[in-house]
Formats: sequence, structure tokens, C-alpha cells
Amino acid sequence: MKPVVIKRDGSQVPFNALRIAEAVLKASGAARCKGVDAFAIAAEVETSLVGQEQVDIHYIQDAVEACLMKSNHIELARIYIEYRHDRDIARERKSHLNSEIDGLIEQSNASLLNENANKDGKVIPTQRDLLAGIVAKHYAKSHILPRDVVRAHEAGEIHYHDLDYAPFFPMFNCMLIDIKGMFTDGFKMGNAEIEQPKSISTATAVTAQIIAQVASHIYGGTTINGIDTILAPYVTKSFDKHLKTAQQWHIEDAHAYATQQTEIECYNAFQSLEYEVNTLHTANGQTPFVTFGFGLGSDWQSRLIQQSILKNRIAGLGKNRKTAIFPKLVFAIKDGLNHKVDDQNYDIKQLALECASKRMYPDILNYDKVVEVTGSFKTPMGCRSFLDVYYQKSGLDKGELIHDGRNNLGVVSLNLPRIALEADGNIGRFDELLNTRLLLAKKALDTRIERLSEVKASVAPILYMEGACGVRLKADDCIADIFKHGRASISLGYIGLHETVNALYGNEKHIFDCATKQQKALQIITRLKQATQEWSEQSGYAFSLYSTPSENLCDRFCRLDAKRFGVLEGVTDKGYYTNSFHLDVEKAVNPYDKLDFEMAYPPIASGGFICYGEYPNMQHNLKALEDVWDYSYTRVPYYGTNTPIDECYECSFTGEFDCTSKGFVCPSCGNSDPDKVAVTRRVCGYLGSPDARPFNEGKQEEVKRRVKHL
Amino acid sequence: MNYSKYYPIDVLNGEGTRCTLFVSGCIHNCKGCYNQSTWSPDAGELFTDQVADQIIQDLNDQRIKKQGLTLSGGDPLHPANVEQILKLIQRVKRECEGKDIWMWTGYVLSELNKKQKQIIELVDVLIDGKFVKDLADPSLAWRGSSNQVVHYLRKASVNE
Repeated sequence: MKPVVIKRDGSQVPFNALRIAEAVLKASGAARCKGVDAFAIAAEVETSLVGQEQVDIHYIQDAVEACLMKSNHIELARIYIEYRHDRDIARERKSHLNSEIDGLIEQSNASLLNENANKDGKVIPTQRDLLAGIVAKHYAKSHILPRDVVRAHEAGEIHYHDLDYAPFFPMFNCMLIDIKGMFTDGFKMGNAEIEQPKSISTATAVTAQIIAQVASHIYGGTTINGIDTILAPYVTKSFDKHLKTAQQWHIEDAHAYATQQTEIECYNAFQSLEYEVNTLHTANGQTPFVTFGFGLGSDWQSRLIQQSILKNRIAGLGKNRKTAIFPKLVFAIKDGLNHKVDDQNYDIKQLALECASKRMYPDILNYDKVVEVTGSFKTPMGCRSFLDVYYQKSGLDKGELIHDGRNNLGVVSLNLPRIALEADGNIGRFDELLNTRLLLAKKALDTRIERLSEVKASVAPILYMEGACGVRLKADDCIADIFKHGRASISLGYIGLHETVNALYGNEKHIFDCATKQQKALQIITRLKQATQEWSEQSGYAFSLYSTPSENLCDRFCRLDAKRFGVLEGVTDKGYYTNSFHLDVEKAVNPYDKLDFEMAYPPIASGGFICYGEYPNMQHNLKALEDVWDYSYTRVPYYGTNTPIDECYECSFTGEFDCTSKGFVCPSCGNSDPDKVAVTRRVCGYLGSPDARPFNEGKQEEVKRRVKHL
Repeated sequence: MNYSKYYPIDVLNGEGTRCTLFVSGCIHNCKGCYNQSTWSPDAGELFTDQVADQIIQDLNDQRIKKQGLTLSGGDPLHPANVEQILKLIQRVKRECEGKDIWMWTGYVLSELNKKQKQIIELVDVLIDGKFVKDLADPSLAWRGSSNQVVHYLRKASVNE
């Protein structure tokens, strides 16, 4: 009797020697081998199976290989083995694809559903996005990316970010929208031709529409760089309109009337904008990652916008006055404008402090330090990606310094602790391995550039034809040029500097107290920077060094490394890797010393950075909060203050919920019902509501271990 | 005098960034006190000249600027503490220019004795009165319960 063959998927079929002969013939065709008696080999295999009732498909393949080797068809055997290997991989991928889709349908794949704290995997449009992501990722890995890049990504040596979008789709990461250009020159969106707005309320309404459109065409953050100065002219238009009304109706103090009406309109306009942003659902299945930079305007119109943004945020969203998670607010502080008591906008800095103490945002941008570190002032794209200096050439002139309309093409991050673990404490070996891995990261980044090189403007009209990217290309124009010569950045990321030096030097001394570790950490980052500079010179693209936020990656890399190298104290034992260059979250130091420790890194990793500190409730002591902001002014470009602002609607507790491995719990009444609590935590550069959308395990553990710095 | 804890940087006990000393010894026995371990005058460690020197040095630190010194506890006006506290405050006023002093006590301002009053002369902000659990309110600034009063005693620091 013929044996039963057990196939890979577990199904059973009767043995058929013909199938073996076919496979051998196929292989011999590929190997251009003549004189192979495929049927003889099939018969030989069949003979070797006599007496067996069941046989595994792998066993049969092994038998074929053995026969080929024995009958001296070495080359044929090699081809057969290779073919089998490739088929195995393809099959494995296919089943992986299926299991991922199963995980989505059955809502059982926690890592997929929780990968991004801003996506609610329970709702249909997000599920459609996640499904598209699974397929796009699968296709890119199978058909677009080079084999070694895919292997390194899957092994966790590097991380090709946002594979669910690019390179399958020709999308880029994050940007500064050129709102000013769009408003001034008008644009088309959907079926509507949009002219220059005639009031601040229209301007904010259109801004919300633009954000929704733009955020559907890119996968990273959408930033408006200086929304106060950009929208200030529309405050003037509103004022003129109200003044005209006052005169028409012979109101006695027309000026006072117009002023008051404008203030009300502006406040309401920014309230609507905040609600819009928080209720938007982009084509990417999420609330858009939006950042508003503001603070530098000194005219009354800009001041009014600054106040409106902050007062709305302080007021909170909805009937429970919940803390808004989006847009991220980034407030610029500039000496001579709003930094010191005598500066004209000092009152707005006070308002920003109050807002930060109650709502965590705004984070602050220290003007002089941003200029020093990145060459010019600009708001980060998304949560922390910073552009370098770029001049738009006009004739023979050096050109005009521009920021708005520029973007980042994407990130590939290095798993630094992995390199240290592979080097097994050998510094020389580490440096060598780092160089090899850098080449791989470069190769991966090149695929991002490559993917966008032949793409036409019509793929994203809002970006390339209607002005969001600061250009008005024609439908058939190639978009590649607007990314060249440093106009766009493309970033090398990294994670776990803390764990890296621990893996290299042991866990006895903390990096905070160890000059050797600090020195090595700086040297590693400097080496990365040097690599990006070399790549920029060679390619003409602005490669930048970016301190990866690692919301998801902190968990993934550590998990993979623990699997391969075991649980190592100070390296893989926590379940997460520390964010970029940040001081280990468990180290109890004051915020001043933390700033001193971290300040060395942003100047090197100038393509992306943020520093923050963990604070107790500061609502009664804004002065102490200001002390730290002021201390940061001459030290770091970009700073956030994390304060406990959780709320329980069951017992009306406000403060900090207990972070347990199971979730967040009200310390006063034990409530953890997501509908009756508001928990706000800094995820990375962004805030998140982990009560509504849980963090991944590693992130939860990291949040659990955070210590206060005061 | 013994002290239970010294914080060279503190933002929770008084305005601005401060140095805060929790002394030992308190007779008020308030129900719900958050610092019961400081009741015994023997709790913590001996307050030595070195500790005082450290406080003066921290107050004058140019890198991390302090608004002033906070004295809490325990009770800084406990009979066993007044002498040392007076000495410390006098030193601060002499050696640390422009630094203010905040103090928490379970006694009430109007009932202080002569020696205690001598100390209050040099204090800028006093929060007085026992902690009363039934009047507790976490939303109050600087106070645990609503019976307590924040006295801004010197004009200079009335900038709330």
C-alpha cells in the first residue's frame, strides 16, 4: 500500500511518485542538466518509503535530495534545494499573511491592534486600513525590498518603519504644510475651488479640511509651523468686517465692539478647529497626527491666536472637559519676545505654563537653541522630526530660506543593543558590526528614495499640485525633484543607547554615573551622524540622524533580542528598550541633572530629538515649572513636561492613576472603566490615552517604571 | 533637633523651586497626618552644622536657582526645635540674599509664644493650624484642610 503524505497545512493525500518526477524535471530544466532520469529517482524515493503508513512532506523532499546527491547530480541537487528553500519562504510568508489577516478578523492579534496608540482597531475604517497595511507590508517584503533588507528587518537588526504604507505606496513620512502659500494662491480640493478665506473662522475651517486631506496622503505627522503668524491676516479680516458692521449700525464705540467680536470669533474658530482635528478620521484610519507650532508672533492678531489656542486647550474637550490629545501644541519661547518678565509676550508664556500644568501640552521650543542645533527656527514635523536649513534658489541669489512645504521621506532605525549583544562586549567588534549595519540601513533608506523617483504629481494632488508641499506641479510632472538637494530629509533612526552601553560594559555602573559609558554613547551617536553626513555628500539628499520615538519598537527589538540572547540584566530584562538617547526612565534624578545629561545629544542627532521630565502636579506652582523651562532655554532645543493630569469620573479624583501591567487604575476608588476615566500619558513625542487604546506590553512596562524627577 | 528628611530641590512645598527641611517632633497628633513618622522628636537624624551648611550652599546654588527655604515637619515650632530653627533662619537671612522662608506649623499664628513669634518675624509665608481630616481638600493650594490659613507675612512675597 502507498503511504499517506502529510502536507504542510496538515491535509493528507495519497503518495504520488509522478509529483516527484515533475519537481525533479523542473529543477533539471532550471539547472540545464541533461540525462537525468527523473522517473528513476522518483521510483527510488518510492522504494525507500515502503512499509510506512504516513510520511511527512519534508521527509520526502529530504529523500529526493539524498537520491540526487547519491546519483551524482550535485548541481541539480543544489538547484532543487534552493528551489525548495524559496518555496518554503514564499509558503511561510503566505501563511503568515493569512494568519495576520485572521488575527485582524478575529481581533486576536494584540500587537497589530495596539501597534499604534492612535488607531482604534475595533472600528471598520481602521480595520480596512489595517488590512491594507498587512497586504502592503507583505507585498513590499516579497516583491519590492531587497532580500537582505527584508531579512535584517525581520531579524530585528534594523527596522523599516511604516512598512504598512511605504514602499508599497509612494508615500512619505511627515511634513510642514505650506498653508500660507495655499491660502494666498488658492487651491482645489475635491470638487471645490477654494479662495483666500475672508475671516479667521473660515481660515480655521479650511485649515481643518487641508489637514484631513494631507494626513490621508502621508503616513507621519502633519505640522503647521507658526499657525499664529500664518493665520494672523485673517484675524485682521474678521476685525475689519466687525468694524464695518459696527459703523453700519452706528454703534458708539465701534472699535471696542469690533475688538470684542473678533476675540470671540477667534476663540470659537480655534475651538472648532480643535474639535475638528479630534473628530477627523483620515483615510489612514486614525485621528491625524497634527502639530501646531506657535508663539513667535508679536502683533495683536498673532497674540490673540496664541491665547485662543491655549485657552481652548485649558478649557478641555466635551462635557467632561477632557484633555485633548491632538493637535500637539508646541510653543516657541524666544528671549526678547516672551522669555523674561519684561518681554512683551511674557503674559502668554504664563498662559502656556498654566496650560502645560493642566494639559501637559504645550511642549516648548527654545528659539535660540533650535537655531543653534538645526541652523534655523522651525517646528518639528510630527512629534520630533527636524529639518535642516534649505534655501529655495531664485536666480543668481543664494535664495530664500524656506521651511513650509518641506518634508521627511521616512526612517529606518538601527537596533543598537543588538549590535552590542552580537559583539559580546568586544568594543572593536561592535564598531565593525556597526559599520556593516549602517551600510544595510543606507541600502534600506535608498529604497525609499527609489520608490518616489518615478512618481507623478497626480498621486497626491493636495501635496504636489495644490500647494501643501509648496509647489504647483502638473499632473504628469515627476515629484522626485522636490525631495532633492536637502529640501526633504530622510532619516537614520536608532534606539536603546542606554541598553547598548550596558551590553558593552556590564550593568554595574549606571551611565549617569559613568564617564566611560557616556563617552562611548556619544561616540556611537557621533559615528551615526558621520555616516549620515557622508551619505548626504554622496547622494545630494539630506540624510539626517533621528532619535526614534519607538512607541512600538521599544517592545519589538527587546522581545526579539531576549529570544535570541536570553534575559540579560540591564539589557533585555525590562521588556522594552529605552527611547533613543534618553536617560533610563527608572533613574531618579532631578530634571536639571536630566537636562544636563541629555543636552549633548540633540546637536548630534539634529534630525530628530525631544527631551522631557516627569513632574508632580505643578498647577499651584507655575513658577517652579517656569524655573525648569528657563533652565532648558540655554540647554536643549525642545522640551516637554509630563505632569499627572488623569481624571476619574466615578469619584472625581484628579492626579495620577496607578499604572499596572493590566492597565490604569484610579488610586482613590479603584475604577478602571475606560468610559469613566481619562488617562493621559506621554507615549513618545505625542500624548496618548492608554485607557481607551492600550499600549503594547513593552511600552506599558516602560510607563510603569517611570520615576518622577522632582 | 532632629530632622526626618531634607530635599535639596523641592517644588511641592511653597512657591518656586525650594530647599525643604522636614524636622522631627510634633505634638498635634492630627488624624490623617501624611507624615506620622516625623512625630517623635527622636525620629530621623541629628541636625548638625554640616546639614545647615549644606542647606546654605544649596540655597545659594547658581546653577539650580532657589526661591527660598521651606521648613515643615514635624513642626518647626515644636519647643524642642525653636532654638535651632531660629539659628538656621537667621543664618539664611544673613548668608542667602533674597531667599524667602515658608513654614508649616500645627500651631495657630495668634496663639504663638514669645520664642515662636521671634521666629515668625523672619518667616515670609506661614501656613498654620492643624490638619482636620473632615475639612481636607486636595484642590487647595499649599493647604491640606480648609481651616488652615496661608499668611503672607512679608510684603515682598505677596505675588500670588
